[in-house]
Amino acid sequence: MSQHDSDANTNDTMNDDPMTDERFADVQAALGLAVPPVTPSAGLKASVMEAIARTPQVAPLAAVTPIATVAPVVADAPAEAPRGSAAARAEARWFSRPAMLVTAAAAAVALFFGGVAAAGVIAPGAPSSTDQLAAIVAAPDVSTVVSPVAGGATATLVSSESVGLSAMVFDGLEPLSDDERYALWYITDGVPTPAGLFAVDGDGAVVQVLEGAFQAGTVVGVTVEPASGSPAPTTDPIVAIATA
Amino acid sequence: MLVLVPPEIALDDVAPAADVTVETTNALLLRVATGDQRAFSELYDLIAPRMLGLVRHVLRDHSQSEEVVQEVLLEVWQTAPRFDPNKGKAVTWMLTMAHRRAIDRVRSAQSSRDRDTKIGIRDLDREYDSVAESVEIRIEHDRVEKALGRLTELQRQAVELAYYGGYSHSEVSEMLGVPMGTVKTRLRDGMMRLREELGVAS
Repeated sequence: MSQHDSDANTNDTMNDDPMTDERFADVQAALGLAVPPVTPSAGLKASVMEAIARTPQVAPLAAVTPIATVAPVVADAPAEAPRGSAAARAEARWFSRPAMLVTAAAAAVALFFGGVAAAGVIAPGAPSSTDQLAAIVAAPDVSTVVSPVAGGATATLVSSESVGLSAMVFDGLEPLSDDERYALWYITDGVPTPAGLFAVDGDGAVVQVLEGAFQAGTVVGVTVEPASGSPAPTTDPIVAIATA
Repeated sequence: MLVLVPPEIALDDVAPAADVTVETTNALLLRVATGDQRAFSELYDLIAPRMLGLVRHVLRDHSQSEEVVQEVLLEVWQTAPRFDPNKGKAVTWMLTMAHRRAIDRVRSAQSSRDRDTKIGIRDLDREYDSVAESVEIRIEHDRVEKALGRLTELQRQAVELAYYGGYSHSEVSEMLGVPMGTVKTRLRDGMMRLREELGVAS
């Protein structure tokens, strides 16, 4: 493994790193407390207090925080598709291979994660999607699945079948070049439907309500596409989340 | 295979400075978990200077560090209902969050690659000269400093570069001129040794 590989995996291999490994949390905290305290500027407290006053808290958890993991995208073709036809190649695409997606069971556990994490990162200037997001989060059947994104970001899918909408909340997403966009997809029975394009700026925090109707059982995927969009995904997903 | 030190040697034994006792912060965080903003205000007064001290030690830049601390505090507020005092201590939980964010930030910033390689191995003592602090903080600092002094030179350098500098394994390997596998071993051994030293010393 090259050093570059290792760098790229830093965020995904936490347990390999004693500096972030939970088993060393006590030692890490001791090291942290050994640093001299620094008095924050006067304005920090005011702005933190103001921020928490308008930020909802997550629901308490009964169990350990579920983080749904997306199996790594593999380039090899599935064993049962040796036909070599265009159809077989199409089937070999990521969006038609449910095995690599988050399992429904993981999604069900993640239900309890609470949709409110989403509300904390709503970008200003998106009032209509904020209303839609509020409707999703307020729905009795709201479901939330958190998944790591290739490159170290986090994606949270918040969806409600009764409202018929879903939203993706990203944290730490990398900005793209001007001629590229992130593309959202609804994938039902292996058939992808475009659900909107978006870009991110500096902090990589984005809330994006998907275009089109959400149905339970659908897979939500995100790819990088040309700015003009694509009728179907042309690249491997940076994240794909299955819903129960 | 590694043999981990038994979990009963934990932060209780490591005894944080008196102003951020395990009891006080645990109690405050549990109140925060119920949406109590006044409790959060008290918690802020205790923990924000500790978070900022740590984050700024890693990031160097004051205003960036305040940004990170603000993010972390907001995360503390949002996720406080998920804090379980049976599984860990509030101080540990909050400082870990701050440390991770600081490391994420330092690693994502391209400019961080140009950081002076000596930053991570600065002697913590030097910063103390200009800082007014309580006796308790000083004692805690001395304990950790002493424990760090009991590590081998390579262990200590690796731990300081990785924890305080936020450097990746491969960066530490390059800086110290030792193979990556050696860095990983030294880090793990160093952290286990530290736990022993801090646990035994109290």
